[in-house]
Amino acid sequence: MGLSPATRIIAVLLLILLPAPLIIVIGASFSPRAVLAFPPPGFSWRWYLEFLGSTAWITAFAQSAVIAIVAAVVTTIIAVLAALALDRAPARLRSAAETAILAPLLFPHAAIGIAFLGWLSMLHLNGGFIGVLMAHLILCAPFAYRPIAVSLRQIDRSLTEAATILGAEPRQTLTRVVLPLLRPGIAASLLFSFIISFDEVTVTMFLTGPQFTTLPVSIYTHIHDSADPVVAAISSVLILLTAGLVLLIDRLVGLRIFIDIEEEGRHAPA
Amino acid sequence: MKAGRVALFAPMAMLIAAFAVAIGGLIWGSFTKGGVGLYADLLSDQVVLRVLWRTVWISALTTLFCVVLAYPLALFLARSKHRNLWLILVISPWLVSIVVRTFGWMVLLGNRGVVNMTLRDLGLIDAPIRMLFTPTAVLIGLTHVFLPFVVIAILSSLLQQDRRLEEASRILGGTRWQTFRRVTLPLSMPGVIGGASLVLLMATGAIVTPLLLGGLRDRMLGTQIYTEIFQVFNFERATAMAVMLLVVALVLVAPLRLLEARIRQTQEGV
Repeated sequence: MGLSPATRIIAVLLLILLPAPLIIVIGASFSPRAVLAFPPPGFSWRWYLEFLGSTAWITAFAQSAVIAIVAAVVTTIIAVLAALALDRAPARLRSAAETAILAPLLFPHAAIGIAFLGWLSMLHLNGGFIGVLMAHLILCAPFAYRPIAVSLRQIDRSLTEAATILGAEPRQTLTRVVLPLLRPGIAASLLFSFIISFDEVTVTMFLTGPQFTTLPVSIYTHIHDSADPVVAAISSVLILLTAGLVLLIDRLVGLRIFIDIEEEGRHAPA
Repeated sequence: MKAGRVALFAPMAMLIAAFAVAIGGLIWGSFTKGGVGLYADLLSDQVVLRVLWRTVWISALTTLFCVVLAYPLALFLARSKHRNLWLILVISPWLVSIVVRTFGWMVLLGNRGVVNMTLRDLGLIDAPIRMLFTPTAVLIGLTHVFLPFVVIAILSSLLQQDRRLEEASRILGGTRWQTFRRVTLPLSMPGVIGGASLVLLMATGAIVTPLLLGGLRDRMLGTQIYTEIFQVFNFERATAMAVMLLVVALVLVAPLRLLEARIRQTQEGV
């Protein structure tokens, strides 16, 4: 069926508007003067050099990267184990467990932030690496679990049966058949969790402190005081990094995974 | 085997438990420390009531805009031969940190921002139009931030539809509009409602976008909580407001969930 012209016009406009603010930020980051303007009144790498020369910014960047890598690896491992545990479990048990795993998606982030703040202050873990990491593990879990569950469901059962019939031990079936077939799901899980953790700000800003902060939280604090082009430069780095990761997901598993996950989510009872 | 499954699920169970303890602690703490009196104070405070009302209407309008705009784009993507290419334009901005995207709108909407400067250069205005720090700016920002969620949700349900149903409708003499109204739209309602509930939930709990684009005057619940923590240092009030936020989100999303259940029932009955 053809689309009406109005539909096409709205769609094309949105495809321009969605990336527009990001393109503007990248453009403004090359301003040689201390004013945010687009198009920039000239071209310079000044603000990128300032970013690279600032210990505070580089530290925040490194801390964000470490948190995101650890969160991605740990949640992915936890999610693979959970998906294997729930595979072929009774339907009711499975759906109850999945609802619990996806629960963080059903709560507003500002409330989650306060909840963690209260709980971590009680354990004296507030303002440090461990506290932020724990929050990120919980927030990443739904995003890590779903692609793996999708992948696991797509595995052809006759392959694991064949392995068993041919005399493979359960452990061998797991490592030689199941895990290799889960690779797209694991890749998607790692990349999703990394992105979620690396970008998270609403919950994280309640949990950072003078000793430990993440890049998006520092950007937020900085914008709140003064929006100068150094923020534009750092933001541009983040934008390009994210775009690179999206292309990587496209290469490794295909962007279709975003749609499959959505479908999976709708079938799971909420 | 049973024990093995439990062991595999244990790490995920720990994350679930940690989340449950955090949320449970939040609700429990708001009653034990603040008490019912605190809620009575909040609910009789004119400022809080205004913030509450603003949270509701801004979230509802954001959701409406997201659905109305996302639908044509999702339809366009579902029919496009170059879907993957367009998906990159939708997904990349989606995954960039909210702070960075909001910052882009600050650069666009500021008094010396891109929009005002362009209008001035075109000779259309003499003095800058005040756009930043208005509810309109918050609406634009939130819609931009959450739009991709709805696009993906609707796209996913459109791609699942059997295209032959639309063809049948056209062959039987239905116009393009009738086919859309009677076939395509009803079948995609699960995606629409799923996307809408997600946006509603996230918009009520948003902090960064309303704070940076709306300023401190036009507060929402999330920004009010933020202020209580970081400027007033009143943890009890923030906790009680976070619980209020949970209730507001639940009440707002509940009708959508009921609608979803009803639609699922009727569609499974067909």
